[in-house]
Amino acid sequence: MTEFSPEPSDMSLNEDPSLNRPINAPRRTWRKREWLLSVVVVSACTMIASLLSPYLELADLVMIYLLGVVVTASRSSTWPSLFTTLLSIAAFDFFFVPPYYTFAVNDIGYVVTFAVMFIVSFVISRLTLRVRQQADASRLRERRTASLYDLSRDLVRERDTTRLSEIAVKHIEEVFGSLVVILVPRELNRLVISAKSSAALVLDEQELSAAQLAFEQHQSAGLGTDRQPGVKTLYLPLIASAGTVGIVGIRPGTDTDAFDREQLHYLEAFVNQTAMAIERAFLADETHHALLKAETESLRNTMLSSISHDLRTPLTAVTGAVSTLLQNDIALDTHNRLELLETIQEEAQRLNRTIKNILDMTRLESGAIKVNKEWQSLEEIVGVVLNRLGDRLNTHPVQVKLPGNLPLIPFDELLLEQVFMNLFENAIKYTPEGTPLELSASESLYTVTVQLADHGPGVPHGEEERIFEKFVRSRTTGGGVGLGLAICRTIINAHGGKIWMENRPGGGAVFRFTLSAAGLPPLPKVEEGLEDR
Amino acid sequence: MPKEKELILLIEDEPQMRRFLRITLQTQGYRLVEAANAQEGLLQATTRNPDVVLLDLGLPDLDGLEVTKRLREWTQTPIIVISAREQEQDKVKALDAGADDYLTKPFSAGELLARIRVALRHVARQIAGKQEPVFALHNLRVDLAQRQVFIDNTEVHLTPIEYKLLTVLIRHAGKVITHRQLLREVWGPAHGNEVQYLRVYMTQLRHKLENDPTRPRFLMNEPGIGYRLKYDPD
Repeated sequence: MTEFSPEPSDMSLNEDPSLNRPINAPRRTWRKREWLLSVVVVSACTMIASLLSPYLELADLVMIYLLGVVVTASRSSTWPSLFTTLLSIAAFDFFFVPPYYTFAVNDIGYVVTFAVMFIVSFVISRLTLRVRQQADASRLRERRTASLYDLSRDLVRERDTTRLSEIAVKHIEEVFGSLVVILVPRELNRLVISAKSSAALVLDEQELSAAQLAFEQHQSAGLGTDRQPGVKTLYLPLIASAGTVGIVGIRPGTDTDAFDREQLHYLEAFVNQTAMAIERAFLADETHHALLKAETESLRNTMLSSISHDLRTPLTAVTGAVSTLLQNDIALDTHNRLELLETIQEEAQRLNRTIKNILDMTRLESGAIKVNKEWQSLEEIVGVVLNRLGDRLNTHPVQVKLPGNLPLIPFDELLLEQVFMNLFENAIKYTPEGTPLELSASESLYTVTVQLADHGPGVPHGEEERIFEKFVRSRTTGGGVGLGLAICRTIINAHGGKIWMENRPGGGAVFRFTLSAAGLPPLPKVEEGLEDR
Repeated sequence: MPKEKELILLIEDEPQMRRFLRITLQTQGYRLVEAANAQEGLLQATTRNPDVVLLDLGLPDLDGLEVTKRLREWTQTPIIVISAREQEQDKVKALDAGADDYLTKPFSAGELLARIRVALRHVARQIAGKQEPVFALHNLRVDLAQRQVFIDNTEVHLTPIEYKLLTVLIRHAGKVITHRQLLREVWGPAHGNEVQYLRVYMTQLRHKLENDPTRPRFLMNEPGIGYRLKYDPD
């Protein structure tokens, strides 16, 4: 029978073109092709019937036409089917009922034949049509369920609102063949476009106000509704458990104006899925922010308590010493006087160091300090630090072992000075008086490793990493803000190096950090005649 | 008092800083003129003709670099800039623009007085118009006429550049010299940015002249700024 179909592949049941159309596209019920099919099928039936007529009774020829009606009905809608029925009767009358080649009928009995033929054909075509429509409907349902499933499967994988919107837009656009836009509320509940199906979709003031209306009233607005129906887009609220989380705007293709009830119903399912996904993303975001806020809060509290302690302690000492000195009625001998003055000086210096650390950390973190790498000599910077520490190192003899052939290496000398200062101050603070410190450096594979070893108590097992965190300090007395090592780590990391601490087998701690020594500085030519002046 | 002591112009907007400096300087016998902002300071400089200017870099009305430039338009009076730690760049700019030295807050009275002494000494020597033929510091002795360098009376051989570097440092003894100034004086104006040259030669010089190069006693590095031959004449 296939030769009767003008386009066989198009006409096969599994690939009914009506099913590949977007669901909202107009069903052109009386398409030309169906009418053509009627004519073709009836002509074919007539040809077969005329070929077989010498061998068959007229009643049998009717069967051929009935077969044609079934074929047409299985592929066309009501009117072409009816047309086929009538055309079949006409052709049968014209070609096979005497007198031949006229529509006149000799025997009145044929009228009964025609009537029966019409009724049978009509019933067959109706039944065939219904069966086909049911199959269509269930296929459509199946397809809708599948696309809904696709949507929810894709949505589940994402957490980001924008990505979710993009996915929903893509799916709705595909299924409904429309331009789609998703808007989410930002500051002051003003809607902004989160995703849209094409750049061509531009929302003017009027469109936006319809969307805003849908959002505020939690009801659909725009095209086909009674709220701002003048616009070209239908706006549906994305309603989740906590309220409206956004708006889906859907603008149908140009050849139809509104969505029918069934399509709306179906659209609703998509919108609900999207709403739930976006709400989930919102909630996840909120949780994340809440956590972050809590962390910041606790960090700020730790910082405030430790900073206020570290600023207040030296201030108290200074104020106390000064007030004693100012009280003339207290008899102070020269020694006590000097001691008070020294206290003032030491505590003021400590205050200065604390403030410097706090400032440095703040500036490092805010990015106000840029790493300014230049070719530097490690020996020189060590010299600066040892000189600057001066008398404070009297209690901790320092042994320096730097290889004589250490190259110039690129680093920021002010920042590295800070690293050395903090490491030394740390050692002075946490190791017993009189214990020596050893500073050494070595180079291998274009990496210079610097290490400062002490003979103090070391660090409790498992704390080796933690001590580089902000506001972490030893439980023993005399600690600073707990920023020194955090600053070291920030600086060394910014240089592309690593800093870590190990407990020494024999007791004591060793702090190591690395700096890249790759590359060669542009150096002046070696002078000729070294001894010549 | 045999002779009236030098006049110092203090340009500083913080009253408590002025109070501290006033007491410190007056107890040392210096005469003092105070100015609370740059305009007043510039005016005082022209009318009083001070021997040393102490200039705070964080003035409210004009930045310290500008004040330095305006002063240098007409006077060679030593300028010592006072700055907070965060102002490394400002410090270097002021020094390159002609300031003689700097102090970083907080500083001690000792440091302040030493800087002033060095500045005054340089002025005195410029007026006298001649340099001592022999420079001695710790165990270092440099015979500038004979171009000979001794450590503990043993002659040390320096390369021409090392020697030149040392003489420039001696000429500015006690004062800070920025990298740029030092590079220009030793290598010439085309080499103002090759700080790594300095690093290499200063290291060599330290190894030849200092007992312990990691704890220099006079060839001092001033991170981010330059070098200083540590020297206090008194």
